[in-house]
Amino acid sequence: MTNDRKSCLIGPISPAAGGALYRQIVDRLKREVSEGRLPPGAALPSFRQLAEDLLVSVITVKRAYEELERDGIIFRRQGLGTFVAEQGHNRSREAKLATAKHLLREGFREAAEAGLKSGDLAELAREVLKEKK
Amino acid sequence: MNNAIEIRGLVKRYPRFQLGPLDLTVPRGAIYGLIGPNGAGKTTAIDMVFGMGRNDAGQIHVLGLDHRADEIALKQHAAYVGSDLNFQVWGKVGRAIRFVRGFYRGWDDACCAALMQAFHLSDSDRIATLSFGARTKLSLLLALARRPEVLILDEPTTGLDAVSKQQVFTELLKAVEDGERTVLISSHGLSDIERFADHVGMIKNGKLLLEGRMDEVVDRFRFVEFFSTNGTEFQNRAGLIILRRTENRWHALLDQKSDAQNWLQTQGAQQISLTRLTLEDLFVALAREEEVA
Repeated sequence: MTNDRKSCLIGPISPAAGGALYRQIVDRLKREVSEGRLPPGAALPSFRQLAEDLLVSVITVKRAYEELERDGIIFRRQGLGTFVAEQGHNRSREAKLATAKHLLREGFREAAEAGLKSGDLAELAREVLKEKK
Repeated sequence: MNNAIEIRGLVKRYPRFQLGPLDLTVPRGAIYGLIGPNGAGKTTAIDMVFGMGRNDAGQIHVLGLDHRADEIALKQHAAYVGSDLNFQVWGKVGRAIRFVRGFYRGWDDACCAALMQAFHLSDSDRIATLSFGARTKLSLLLALARRPEVLILDEPTTGLDAVSKQQVFTELLKAVEDGERTVLISSHGLSDIERFADHVGMIKNGKLLLEGRMDEVVDRFRFVEFFSTNGTEFQNRAGLIILRRTENRWHALLDQKSDAQNWLQTQGAQQISLTRLTLEDLFVALAREEEVA
């Protein structure tokens, strides 16, 4: 009974993963949307349901949903529930791009602090890309 | 009525301790974590709600019901789980359940059966041979199966292992799923409270120190590190609690709602850096210090 209602839409999330729990929910849901596992129009669980699934407070899920709504990735219909927006896929990619930019900036700042010059940075980026392949 | 529990100006005097004047507001549909050091007055406050001890001043309303004038109605709608787990007189789990069941119109047999399964209890279990954790679960089951609108728990997870704790919180989240039911939980398990509770109130020396939405309360504070270059001796002030110093390096707790950060800059603090903290970090810093707000 305790477990049969559990869905695995996303998660699990953990304080050990770094970042606030609500941020982790935002990031996971964005990934689901940008990778198409949650297509436009798909219904999301109510925040109380998701809170139960992820074992977090209702407020944590509410905050995550509010942020996704602000970013235009999901929308709410009073009395009906929460759904993935038509443009959710693109919005999600835009948001991911913004995050990637932010992380690159962070990385370059670290590298600069370590004494790398801008020429070295490009070289570093190529190196990392090669590793990825 | 948006608040499930409203405590206003509550005072209880003992020879060596005074609770209050205490104001506490628990919104409907919330899981509210009541935290505070040992001896802060959490149990005293909770006991007053259920008429265990008479308050010297102040009002307590639960679902709009006065805790004295409407005592019976209040106890029909609100359930209490404390630390007394002495159910031995009933012998077996099934007998305890049949006994308690009779008192409550809202008793939900299906819910009770589901909880029995979730908590691995059975009618034929002898209460005397149950582990401490299983007895805690039995007391929770007796409260939850009544489907109370308000559930008040005084340190229900103390002494439970990690698996049992998770089972308990799963059931509590389930209990508030419809948005109508409210849980007030006092606990020292701060990482659990931070994860599961929507609202938090911290009391110390009988007074409310902080109250609000969990994310807002935790987000409001930061650890701050800074360096003094001009020999300033920094002291506690509104929004700033000095935690430690080594020569010219200082560590403190900073309330971002105060002007403490600006003040630090005007006092010549250098290289000010802020770090996020957990509810537990916040608790420890505040528990050590008297003056915050």
